[in-house]
Amino acid sequence: MSMFRAKKLDLGCFVKARTIRDHTKRKVFEEHETERQALRYMIRNTTLPPRVRATAQMQLSQMHAYTRPTQIRNRCIMGGQGRGVLRAFKMTRVRAP
Amino acid sequence: MSVPRARLVDLMKAQCQVFATTFNPEGVRMGNKVLRQRLKGPALAAYYPRKLASIKDVKREFGPVLATWDEAEEDRFEYIEELKQRGKSAPKKKKGPPAPTPGKKR
Repeated sequence: MSMFRAKKLDLGCFVKARTIRDHTKRKVFEEHETERQALRYMIRNTTLPPRVRATAQMQLSQMHAYTRPTQIRNRCIMGGQGRGVLRAFKMTRVRAP
Repeated sequence: MSVPRARLVDLMKAQCQVFATTFNPEGVRMGNKVLRQRLKGPALAAYYPRKLASIKDVKREFGPVLATWDEAEEDRFEYIEELKQRGKSAPKKKKGPPAPTPGKKR
């Protein structure tokens, strides 16, 4: 979302809107990762009172979608493609458009 | 020969002290596996290459001190000169307010 986006573009690769969005998601996730892990620990710890665990569950589900690691998708750095991206090269298997 | 359970538990306790892990002989779920996980945020956030300083940035910073040479910019100027010679360049900027077009109703 726009409130997370960097005010000045800080990408040096091929840029399109989806690349910027994905980059923003990555940064937001990095920022909130410890908080998410703490909540996950509380949820998984069966020695804690059930009420605490339930509230932790609620809090985790109420967090913004951009703090979620599953929102992140590797994109091609040469053409911004989202499919068929080889992880080792960060590029699509076909020639960049 | 069988080892009594109490002795095994003692061994487990000592093991936990040595390796600094939580002693949990009943195998109760305490969520420690979440705490053991490494943070992957920094690695994920470093996926895209960040912006580096360009010639323009250097010029802006050290303009009067340092003489820089921007090949792309010079190429651009050359191209514009070429266009001007052929009379294909951009029109001159207008000065003053535009003249009112006749026949336009208010």
